[in-house]
Amino acid sequence: MTAAGSLQTDVLVVGGGLAGALAALAARDAGATVALARRSPGATALSSGAVSVAPDPTALPSTTFAARAGTVESARRLAALQPGHPYAAAGVALDRLWESLEFAARELPLLAPPSPRPRWLATPSGSARPCGLCQRSMVAGDLAEAKGILAVVAPRGHLWFDAGLVAGGVNRLAALGAPRAVIARLDLFMWEEAALGRPHDLARLLEAPGAAEAVGAMLRRSLPAGAAAALFPPLLGLSTAARVPERIAHAAGIPVAEFLSDLPSVPGLRLAAAIDERLAAAGVELVRGELAGRGPGEAVSAGGREVRARSWVLASGRFVGGGIARRGTLVEPLLGIPVLASDGPFSQAGAHLASRPAASLTRRDSGSAQPLLSAGLKVDADLRPLGLDGRPVHERLFAAGAVIGGHDQAADGTGLGVAVFTGYLAGRSAAAAGGRLVPAPRGVRA
Amino acid sequence: MEAFDVIVIGGGVNGTGTARDCAMRGLSVLLLEKSDFGVGASGNSSGMIHGGIRYMLSDRKVTERACRDSGYIQRIAPHLLFRIPFLMPFTSRGEAATLVEKATWYATEVYVGAYDLYQPLKRGKPSTRLTPEELYALEPALRPGLGGAVTLDEWGIDAYRLCALNALSAERHGATVRNWTEAAAVLREGGRAVGVRWRDVLTGETGEARAPAVFNASGAWSPALGRRTGVSVPMRPGKGTHLTLDRRFSNYGIICNAVDGRQMFLMPHENDSIIGTTDDDSYGDPDDLEPTSDEVEYLLEGVESLVPGVRRARVTRAWCGLRTTLYEYGKNEDELSREHQIYDHAAEGAAGLLSFVGGKLASYRAQSQEAADRIAALAGKAVDRCRTHEEPLPGGEALPDPAALAARYGVAAPAAARIAYRHGARAHEVLALCDEDPRLKLAVCRDEGILAAEIVHCARHEKVRRLQDLRRRCKLAVGACAGLDCARLAAQLAAHELGWSADEARAELADLLELGWRERRTILDGHQLAQEELVRAAHRGLGDL
Repeated sequence: MTAAGSLQTDVLVVGGGLAGALAALAARDAGATVALARRSPGATALSSGAVSVAPDPTALPSTTFAARAGTVESARRLAALQPGHPYAAAGVALDRLWESLEFAARELPLLAPPSPRPRWLATPSGSARPCGLCQRSMVAGDLAEAKGILAVVAPRGHLWFDAGLVAGGVNRLAALGAPRAVIARLDLFMWEEAALGRPHDLARLLEAPGAAEAVGAMLRRSLPAGAAAALFPPLLGLSTAARVPERIAHAAGIPVAEFLSDLPSVPGLRLAAAIDERLAAAGVELVRGELAGRGPGEAVSAGGREVRARSWVLASGRFVGGGIARRGTLVEPLLGIPVLASDGPFSQAGAHLASRPAASLTRRDSGSAQPLLSAGLKVDADLRPLGLDGRPVHERLFAAGAVIGGHDQAADGTGLGVAVFTGYLAGRSAAAAGGRLVPAPRGVRA
Repeated sequence: MEAFDVIVIGGGVNGTGTARDCAMRGLSVLLLEKSDFGVGASGNSSGMIHGGIRYMLSDRKVTERACRDSGYIQRIAPHLLFRIPFLMPFTSRGEAATLVEKATWYATEVYVGAYDLYQPLKRGKPSTRLTPEELYALEPALRPGLGGAVTLDEWGIDAYRLCALNALSAERHGATVRNWTEAAAVLREGGRAVGVRWRDVLTGETGEARAPAVFNASGAWSPALGRRTGVSVPMRPGKGTHLTLDRRFSNYGIICNAVDGRQMFLMPHENDSIIGTTDDDSYGDPDDLEPTSDEVEYLLEGVESLVPGVRRARVTRAWCGLRTTLYEYGKNEDELSREHQIYDHAAEGAAGLLSFVGGKLASYRAQSQEAADRIAALAGKAVDRCRTHEEPLPGGEALPDPAALAARYGVAAPAAARIAYRHGARAHEVLALCDEDPRLKLAVCRDEGILAAEIVHCARHEKVRRLQDLRRRCKLAVGACAGLDCARLAAQLAAHELGWSADEARAELADLLELGWRERRTILDGHQLAQEELVRAAHRGLGDL
């Protein structure tokens, strides 16, 4: 790294969500110098706070938790069924999925170590998701492991989360092996300002000295007979350091977990904060602001600074992150890489996916895979984005996370799993990509 | 078997308006709506109580009736109407204008001037002629080179609520009102229609009701009902598609010409803007109707001709309905009369069955009055005089002051204003729920100013049977956020009020989200596409809905 203003680095990561963070940490871990450029917090802050990885695509709705495939095998099955999926594009590298999950948990200590079988975590809308990785605050809520009665906590003072819907969802899964859920009502948030607070306001309230302990004591008095664990709304502190779940559990004398969150997501904010903290500790140079440039080897302007990096990882997300945009036609706005991958009928080369009307790229039943929502970059087995000629646009340009197309995370249930896996691989590859700083990347827009 | 004086089939504005009129005049009424109030042409109309300037050349009577009734509707539902001033720009500068263009301007001024004759009927302001400078001062986003404009004054309305309020008023006057209940068959005996067999589509419950008069106001569904009944209901259903933009994109309504020369508009409407409309013959299934890419493009292109920036606007929805125009062969859609007709099916062996075809939203009250007269004659009953132009619809009794409401109940002023708009005098009842339970002040939608209290009020008092009914009662999940913030919370509140199980609540939530997807999938672009990704992740990815 050189003097003020200008920055020389081995790897430049574009994007500060989970994929970008893992790419940066994986490259740093491999000994490379790393800069990470981002214009705003990543879409990871808008996530449930857990990492789905892969549900078993061959399971029937009635298949018990125990009879379903583990996380890695599920990803293999998904790759076999969906040849355009990033898990399939990575080819034999999918063998490193487990390694990537372990790496993520090691780098981000708020995550619990992965377990071979996914943890089944309840959601606010009365369902449950299998998660390959989750926060430590969620582990005791694993429906596949919980025994006895699960007390679903209902704070009387606030309407945002509905314990009835959550408990109903858990009880619907009894035949799959879920514990019985019973609602435990607590006189929590019982004053008007709290009643009108947003989830992050409530999470802060619980961080205050004595607050979590008081909740724990209240819970101890209200526990249903036979309760083996208590499942809280995802409000257990914005900061891991506040140790809200631990304090409640200690005072209540029972394991405590939070269920997953939709938006706004306290666990998502917590995960984003943990990422920032870890990036700083690992010595990743953070550059904030808009990025303009042509690709690896070239000097780019990032947040007003000149940055020159040997290899790049593009982890700029999809539509929320801005890595892919549609302005009448689908584009990758930063480098002008063609948008070629999608799950659906227009995924073959030459089908002009990008310029088709939205109606052609969507299907009437929202539940089916949607070509438009799964659009993104096509990559080779080394995760290098491909140009129209089917060859990598640059030998040291890698992609990670949702910017890679061909999968619809919402429909296939992979969630942030692709971010962890491709982020880790792309970071390792970028660190290993040798060569001097050379100009004129082939195929990248001038 | 229950007996009534009249069975009204169809909960659009004509069905609910006629049910109200009949009930107020002392007839016993059964109103059947197979889905929810206003889901057809009424709710999917442009949402205007306009005087029908478009029809002045062909149907001056339609214009006059619409203007007169617009005045009455302002009287009975003052909270629900809002003024929309329109600009009709001249598309070239004076110095460059050809003789034909100058003649067109003159004709336009005469045309609008003639419309002014009817404006007092609906408290409209007289038209004015604007110079180019005045025009650009009012609406800087217009393309350069325009030669000024004339103004005209129209009124907007929430048409879904208009239907619901008519239905609620009918019920308060003794009618039996059933939404989500279809008329499965019209019962016939000896050359007469004598009643209806109905089926509750949510519970599966069936029943029969008898009446000397059966009034078919099922709009675009009439031909199918006619086929089931063995009568013919001639009409030319025309598909009209609209787009909604995420904000008030222009200050005024702007009348534009589409690529084929048809008149169309961009107008601010409540918190949004609406672009409309297409008009194409439709032979399709009214239950299986979707906007298409070419309709979306046609509408944007038409507005772009005067407002180039519309290409950067965020389109949040594309939606459509089937208007039922009177049958004529050999005419273009736009040339078809907007008059209405009430067909008597006696000659087809179904005496007692009347079908309503055509008409305008703005004239629904007069149309309903005429229908009620015919029905009373069929039922052979002496009835009271019509009072639907005098007696306010629920909430129309007074206009509450939003600032005073906000102060009294301790809620945000913008939310109070929106609740006062939707509920009029009943906004007090809505907000009084917060006195009992302060948690109900929680904002469900900050765009539309929906508080939890409003969801509870609608669920208790406005015949909400499904979560999607709240789209129409209080604009739930139809804004730019696409239901990201509001949908689950509203489902929880409705489930609590209506006794839904967790599984039922999830099914309702999935249904609500699916409807939104259908309206968005043809327009997904820019920020709205990013929002779709978020909504999909939260509801489908996480919620498995």
